[in-house]
Amino acid sequence: MQARARASSGLSAELCLQAERIQALARAQGLDFAEIDFRLLDAQDVNGVAAYGGFPVRYPSWRFGMEFERLEKCRHYGLSRIYELVINTEPVVAYLVRNNSHLEQKLVIAHVCGHADFFKHNSWFSATDRSMLSRIGEHAGLVRAAMEREGQECVETFLDTLLSLETLIDPYLPLRARLGADVQRSAKAPTFDVLGFIAARAPLEDWRRELLEMVRREAYYFQPQRMTKIMNEGWASYWHARLLTAGVLTDAEVVDFADCHSGATADSPGRINPYKLGIELFRRAASRGADLFRLRRAHNDASLIDQLVDAEFVERSRLFLYGANPKTGRAEVVERDPGRVKARLLQDLAWGGLPQIELVAAEEQGERALELVHHHDGRDLDLEAAKATLLCLERLWRGPVTLTTREGGEVRRVQARRGEAEILEA
Amino acid sequence: MLRIEADRARFREIVRGKIRGDLKRYLSTSELFTRRGERAVSVPIPQIELPRLRFGDNRKSGVGQGAGERGDALDPEGGESAAGAPGEAGAEHALEVEVELEELAAMLGRELELPFIQPRGQRSLLCEGGRYDHIRSRGPDSLRHWRRTFRRALERSVASGQWDPARPRIVPLREDYRFRADRPRPVPHSSAVILHMMDVSGSMGREQKEIVRIQAFWIDTWLRSQYDQIEVLYIVHDAAAKIVDRESFFHLRESGGTKISSAYELCLAQIQTRYRPEDWNIYAFHYSDGDNWSARDTERCMALLRDELLPRVNQFCYGQVKSAYGSGQFKKDLDQHLADLDRLVTVAVNDRSDIAASIRAFLGKGR
Repeated sequence: MQARARASSGLSAELCLQAERIQALARAQGLDFAEIDFRLLDAQDVNGVAAYGGFPVRYPSWRFGMEFERLEKCRHYGLSRIYELVINTEPVVAYLVRNNSHLEQKLVIAHVCGHADFFKHNSWFSATDRSMLSRIGEHAGLVRAAMEREGQECVETFLDTLLSLETLIDPYLPLRARLGADVQRSAKAPTFDVLGFIAARAPLEDWRRELLEMVRREAYYFQPQRMTKIMNEGWASYWHARLLTAGVLTDAEVVDFADCHSGATADSPGRINPYKLGIELFRRAASRGADLFRLRRAHNDASLIDQLVDAEFVERSRLFLYGANPKTGRAEVVERDPGRVKARLLQDLAWGGLPQIELVAAEEQGERALELVHHHDGRDLDLEAAKATLLCLERLWRGPVTLTTREGGEVRRVQARRGEAEILEA
Repeated sequence: MLRIEADRARFREIVRGKIRGDLKRYLSTSELFTRRGERAVSVPIPQIELPRLRFGDNRKSGVGQGAGERGDALDPEGGESAAGAPGEAGAEHALEVEVELEELAAMLGRELELPFIQPRGQRSLLCEGGRYDHIRSRGPDSLRHWRRTFRRALERSVASGQWDPARPRIVPLREDYRFRADRPRPVPHSSAVILHMMDVSGSMGREQKEIVRIQAFWIDTWLRSQYDQIEVLYIVHDAAAKIVDRESFFHLRESGGTKISSAYELCLAQIQTRYRPEDWNIYAFHYSDGDNWSARDTERCMALLRDELLPRVNQFCYGQVKSAYGSGQFKKDLDQHLADLDRLVTVAVNDRSDIAASIRAFLGKGR
């Protein structure tokens, strides 16, 4: 196994040895993970892989080029860089950046062990397809074939339409399906799996339906990562700190480690740093004597925060609510009331941070029509974006689409019909 | 990672509006960076944000972590904060970076993929004081090259049969001495002049001048990075033309009619008296909103361009800035009658988002 890893990865013998050692240590501490395939790449290539969502074989799209451009600019001007990239497949693929220092590589290897354990055991990942690498390769073949047949621009424009709708999935569906619920239900209204419904019912040419199913599959694959970002990073950081201070570091490396670790878990104003909040959550749970392995299995970000965050945690972790000052328009600290901070945190994390949209009725005879409802929780939608999104949906469904939502407390109906979108007051 | 380069190239084509015009309205920033104070620039990260069902603007709030009292700003710099909602990655559309002016020019070149200029009529000057990488047989003692001197002495003693391996002794004579020397070398020397001409008649408003200002700044920055020496001359005109300093060029507001030929004549006179084309790389830029006094004056302008100006300059660039009153006729006339002359570049600038494209058009030929 060691020989294989070395052959495929370009890791130095020394680094391979460290990887073996750290993995053995992690297993001894109770982490359990699939085989990890470490690969060493230049920073630019890691950015390339990251732009493709971790899958270098992904289908061609300007969107990945856009992400690559952003990552490269950040790297070029020294504003941020990627240390490591871990892919949820079997074996787990972990990309290490060639110009990481030796200490950073050790830290990153330990961090990767944490992620790999999380992928294997967290229940939200239990339904993900571990052979996604080849799946994504097939998807790319599909897109290329369609582009050759239909023309690049036509296929690309259609893909963009689908990507506007990518968020219209039911984050709980894969888990329910795995627990034995009737998945076929998703092809019937009411459902949150709007993409699934459209794929089953809309009058589409074959290649368009295939692409729609592809986008939906990839969206479901990436969904658990959205819902467990804080936990996943927290878990990996908790373990890299524990493993490194349990014998991996040489004395000379301790200060550099502390520097590197505190850099990754620093405050960033106006934004939650998932590494920091995550590690604080697990440390808090450990100090209370909770079973960490059980927590990492059962929860997602929202439910873990619901369970662990209390007044003391809000105070010690210095969480606050911010908002725009109505006079100056600048963002400032508003309050630190624990109850309100927690409520807001939960609201932001629920449903993967997205508005909850349900398809409530579909008319398939005569004038084909779709009826959607936004389950309003106090946060209004961007109605202009909603108009444009409904037009995308209308193009697929070939019939008018209506979304009921609220704006400033008033009921609004956004409607797309015959290529025109408008906002109706109820 | 060739595949990602292909996707990046496609994205750039979209940003530049060459393909997929349907995406233009979702583009967040233009390509050009802006200066922030003396040293900092903000580097734009153009992002195309496809429409989605997402939360609206009333969400400029959220949960943060760290120190701060109630009422403290999150962003210590103050001003508009671009705090993104948690979990919404990539909220920023620009990076703030500190740079030197030379670096800025390099960035401009990189962002817009500008070709380096091949100066024409390149003169080479012999410059003293290169590096001491040469050897000669005469020189001051301070530059004596010991190893070469002894090697020379060794060669001589071996050749003359005095060399005795049992008693290896070398005594350099005067003729063996070797000295380090520098070598005068040809250094390409290039100089350029930029002539900025601007219409300051009543129809050129504040926004139009701002566009010209931004454009001229970047053009100067780029050309400065390409030449050792550069002079910049500012000419304004309404019905008559005059040379002004940089400050008044951008802020002067005249009124009255427009006679473009007046500027072209002044420009030509300057070239004839001060900037001989054999010695100078000449760049002329003219900005106006496209209105001219009379068709006859436009004819006069075109004659001046064709016969006098274009043969003398590296490039003549006409940038037509859209204004509420301008007819835009002048560019049409140029395009119609002088299309065959490749030293003339004309560009229409409707608003600030066109500036990057127009700079690329002006400087993209590498003249």
